[in-house]
Amino acid sequence: MSKRNPKSTAPDTIDTDLAIKVEDAHYSYPAGNVVALSGVNLEVDKGELLGIIGQNGSGKTTLTKLLNRLLKPTSGNVYVNGMLTTPRTVQEMSAHIGYVFQNPNHQLFARTVKDELEFGPKNIGVEEADIAERVEDAIEFFGLQPYIEEHPYRVSFPIRKLVGIASVVTMRPSIIILDEPSTGQDHQTTRIINSLMRRLAEEGTTVICVSHDMPLLADVVDRVIVMRNTQIISDATPREVFADRELMLTTNLQAPQITEIALGTVTPLGGPIALTPAELADDLENRVKKGAQK
Amino acid sequence: MVHRIHPVTKMVWVLVYIVLAFTTQNIFILYGMALFAIGLALLAGVFRPLLKAAYLIVPVGSSLIALQVLAPAVERPWTPIAEIGFVTLYGDGLYYALVLLGRIISSMLLTLVMVMTTHPSDLFLAFSKLKVPYTFNFMLAMTLQLIPVFQREVGIVLSAQKSRGMKGSGFSAVLPSFVPVFVGAIERVQQLSVSLESRGFGSSGNKTSYRKVTSRTQDWVYGVVGAVAMLGLMVYSILQPRLWNLSDIVVFAPETVLVTFSVAVTLFSFVIVGALFLSLRKT
Repeated sequence: MSKRNPKSTAPDTIDTDLAIKVEDAHYSYPAGNVVALSGVNLEVDKGELLGIIGQNGSGKTTLTKLLNRLLKPTSGNVYVNGMLTTPRTVQEMSAHIGYVFQNPNHQLFARTVKDELEFGPKNIGVEEADIAERVEDAIEFFGLQPYIEEHPYRVSFPIRKLVGIASVVTMRPSIIILDEPSTGQDHQTTRIINSLMRRLAEEGTTVICVSHDMPLLADVVDRVIVMRNTQIISDATPREVFADRELMLTTNLQAPQITEIALGTVTPLGGPIALTPAELADDLENRVKKGAQK
Repeated sequence: MVHRIHPVTKMVWVLVYIVLAFTTQNIFILYGMALFAIGLALLAGVFRPLLKAAYLIVPVGSSLIALQVLAPAVERPWTPIAEIGFVTLYGDGLYYALVLLGRIISSMLLTLVMVMTTHPSDLFLAFSKLKVPYTFNFMLAMTLQLIPVFQREVGIVLSAQKSRGMKGSGFSAVLPSFVPVFVGAIERVQQLSVSLESRGFGSSGNKTSYRKVTSRTQDWVYGVVGAVAMLGLMVYSILQPRLWNLSDIVVFAPETVLVTFSVAVTLFSFVIVGALFLSLRKT
């Protein structure tokens, strides 16, 4: 365990049902004294599916790195599963919160895909039998059977991405952070990631997804945090966030195209703020049917 | 002023400095050269970054002094000045330790000042004017630029390891990270080579640059005067044996040697213990 700051008055643990509680967190990068987070407050329930969006440099990645203790807040407190992160090490936190890096090449060290999937659970002391079961489960879910004896760097990049995610999933942390999971991925891989996030949330895992892929977030998450200039400026449902045109404009973000189309067509007529093509198609179908009946 | 000196002039100075430093055994010349380099650093406004880079001198210097006092790199007989248990300390070693240290310090400081006051593009433009092959020039430039990139990659990979529960720090943690860093390096180099070729790298014909490095009269003056002065000093000190090596004139009192040795050993021990502590402690 790393040393606790003797001047800190924050309790080491708190009694809470929240998965994550961030209290007035500030962070400045030492080099150049760059402020990356200013007074961030955040509460995330267990099992929640949360999306974090914002321009580059808004503080999204910094916030997520505070959660798994890769970074220590300059001030403020971060609690994960009721435990204060500051006096703990990244390794201790890894049993509770998994972090999937954007570039899978940064995560892969083992000789085979199977070894890669076993790496994390071994580090946190999971029993051998449990490791085998977790690895089998991950292989089946991610469709990695053809690759299990391959070197991770010999498989294609989309498969490597799935291996990177699977290698964190096998640790079965109660919280998973995915940093730009769909960047550079084809449609099939994105669908797998999409269904993974839903499945994890259904099983009670808290999922936090940092992404610029608005359609992915619109389709999956329950809640969206919008960050700008080191602060959280909006915290609402995807519908509320993407329908807020002024918010999208001021943050230089763009709502999913389907939402934009809906806002410009059916929504003013009482239709939904569609987040997916299926929603808009359903509404249009109903309108056409009603129109035909008249 | 130092920033505007022609890169070739600076290279000449560095070369001559190194030649002089490694040919003389006169500690006054050596430390005079070091002070001159520090003076240039102050003039150029790069003294603080120079100081940061110069921390390396502490472990190197302390180990040199400690080892030389224990086993001087000169012909026997050595002059024993004290005994600590079974260990004998020799007075002859301190002078030569200071010579070796002076060589390192003077060469290093001037080289650092020149690097810190020269834009890499200007340096490589100067190389190309000296007819250094373009591809070799480019290799040097890329190496300098990629070092911080790879440093950053290692940091990210270590973070990823820790995030998956890997314990340990220092070499045991760095070793597994070699694979992803090397793979990343190879992939980056492959992409870079394709990108370079797509942008005409390796095509024949004269290369042009938007940067202009013009040589002024004072650059010639600095270069010639500096080179002549240093080479002249070197020749003079060779021809005058009394100036070449002052070990007969500069004799340190036994107390001085003992105190210097003790300080050096203490500093070196701190460095070793500190390094061991940092590598073994959990972050």
